[in-house]
Amino acid sequence: MADVFFIGLSLSSILLLVALGLAITYGTMGVINMAHGELVMIGAYVTVLCQTHFGLHFLLCIPVAFVVTGAVGYAIERFVVRRLYGRLLDTLLATWALAIIIQQAIRLEFGAAFAGLHIDGLGPGLQNVPIPSFFRETFLVGDFVVQPYRTFIIVLTIGLFILTWWLIFHTSFGMQLRAVSRNRGIASCCGIDDKRINAWTFAYGSALAGAAGVMLAGFKTVSPSMGTPFVIDGFLVVVMGGVGSLFGTLGSAVILGEVQGWVASLLNDVLARAIVFGVIIVVIIIRPQGLFSRRGR
Amino acid sequence: MQLLTRTNLQLAAYGLFIVVVMLLPLFMDVFWLNRISKYLVFGMLGIAISMSWGYAGILNLGQGLFFGFGAYMLAMSLKLASPTSLAQGSDEPVPDFMLWTSEPGAPIDLCCINQGSFLWIPFKEQWFGVAMGLVMPTLIALVLGYAMFRARIAGVYVAILTLALCLLVRLLVIDAQPLINGFNGLTDLGWFTVGGLEFDPYLVETYYLIAIITCLVLIGARWLVNTKVGVVLQAIRDNEERVRYLGYDVAVYKVFFFCISAAIAGLAGMLYVIAAEFASPTFMNIGFSISMVVWAAVGGRWSLLGACLGAILLNVVEATVSETETLVEAWQLIIGAIFLFVVLVMPRGLAGFIQQGADWGLDWLHQRVKERRIR
Repeated sequence: MADVFFIGLSLSSILLLVALGLAITYGTMGVINMAHGELVMIGAYVTVLCQTHFGLHFLLCIPVAFVVTGAVGYAIERFVVRRLYGRLLDTLLATWALAIIIQQAIRLEFGAAFAGLHIDGLGPGLQNVPIPSFFRETFLVGDFVVQPYRTFIIVLTIGLFILTWWLIFHTSFGMQLRAVSRNRGIASCCGIDDKRINAWTFAYGSALAGAAGVMLAGFKTVSPSMGTPFVIDGFLVVVMGGVGSLFGTLGSAVILGEVQGWVASLLNDVLARAIVFGVIIVVIIIRPQGLFSRRGR
Repeated sequence: MQLLTRTNLQLAAYGLFIVVVMLLPLFMDVFWLNRISKYLVFGMLGIAISMSWGYAGILNLGQGLFFGFGAYMLAMSLKLASPTSLAQGSDEPVPDFMLWTSEPGAPIDLCCINQGSFLWIPFKEQWFGVAMGLVMPTLIALVLGYAMFRARIAGVYVAILTLALCLLVRLLVIDAQPLINGFNGLTDLGWFTVGGLEFDPYLVETYYLIAIITCLVLIGARWLVNTKVGVVLQAIRDNEERVRYLGYDVAVYKVFFFCISAAIAGLAGMLYVIAAEFASPTFMNIGFSISMVVWAAVGGRWSLLGACLGAILLNVVEATVSETETLVEAWQLIIGAIFLFVVLVMPRGLAGFIQQGADWGLDWLHQRVKERRIR
């Protein structure tokens, strides 16, 4: 029982880790970032590159990936997303195009492949990231087998969630962000630099994706196309929880993770994912505003 | 009467397209004709996307679901018609993969070789498969559309719902190993047969079958969007509230066009099976469904012909550059860049661009004519 619950919690934490960044960019800015999965992928590749070329410790890769993907996110906002505010569906398409471009950039090793060069850790192949030994050794607490790495992911996710919550509700930046997301025009009339706020918000959401990428690199094979499934899962989590509701995202991530964990233990993995999609479809049709949202669509 | 008007120019473009498609067999060998016929099928998907996205404002990111359903329905019939299905040690056709997973001692008959196999029995009749290939996508679109548009779900939520449903069905197909060969899909199919004529994919007749149906769909779609129903639909896209206040039942119009779009996709799925001789769960991959949207966007989502041509041209170029391996990856990169450019700079796509040019030309011409008269 406890095992399955823990597996579910572990799945939830990964969903939440990916969805958290989307909850920021979609929930507060209304931008559908289909390249979010690619930002996760960049985070994973930063880990690969830091380890193969600089021998950086796994844990130190988290802040590095955080900064790198944040910078990429900032650039995406400045050059693409900024032109599309108010064209919600077009942001979806434009960021999908960006997703393709980022994936191909990794596959082609940023153009080095044309010159016949090869950079270790890039290219179309699969990469593996070794995790530190103290994450690999399981230990017993009573009858319960504790997997340190999974536990670490859960703890880190909770930490990032609290950081995000604090940033949005207890800082001046967060207050400006909430003002811009409620009413952009009035907010900028009050002297808030809405462009700056949006750019930094997008950068922060992207940086969260980078952190997620580092953690995923620890137990999944890293490849250029690894991000795509995550962005879709992440979106479904955000929409089901209620757009603009941080705790809704938390709630729906836990529900979906647990559903997937339990069904997978009773039937199989494929059906578990199918049932998760079924739950989401039913929820969206019955409550389009999301499970935990008080604000209308 | 004015001869050079906008509508006449558009009709001329449609006519030119049909003439070119019909004359292609004079210039190409059967290998390329087979390729082109697949791209014509993608062109039909472009029409379906343009109809739902451009004309109805419904961005369907799960069009692959309808395409896949159409494909599987016909593929089931053609699977039973293939010689291997008849050579499984029974008088009646039985798909070979069912024997690989059946329990020892199970009777080799569709009625009871495994739990779901009886569903295959009516598919022995090829036309049942054809009918189902149209009926099933339409039915799914009807139920889904009714649930969505009655609840006034719109915009991004429609995109996410259709996406989730497509993924859901894809997973169910992959899971159904004994019934429809799961991940591997249906291969080794027989030929589509009409009155003794077997449509081998590498025959000129097969090309014409697909080309004529594509042209008919294009003409039919063009006719439909210009009827009163189509005009109301465009009004709904532009201002849903206002049309509702005028007393129209908005949901019915949306459901209707959602179903038409699904039926076209189902038809395209069937033709694809005839040309490519397989059906697989990859038809329901997210990447494929989004590619269709890319084709329509690049060609011009507000133009049926533009979306259709966008699909065909992008695929033809892809096929020609895919000879060398690095170029394949680079082509994906270029596609991404083109798509990004189109979304940012010319949201009306190539068709909109050409339309604008033609409008300028017409204005200039009419101006000149007027000046000459005054003189």
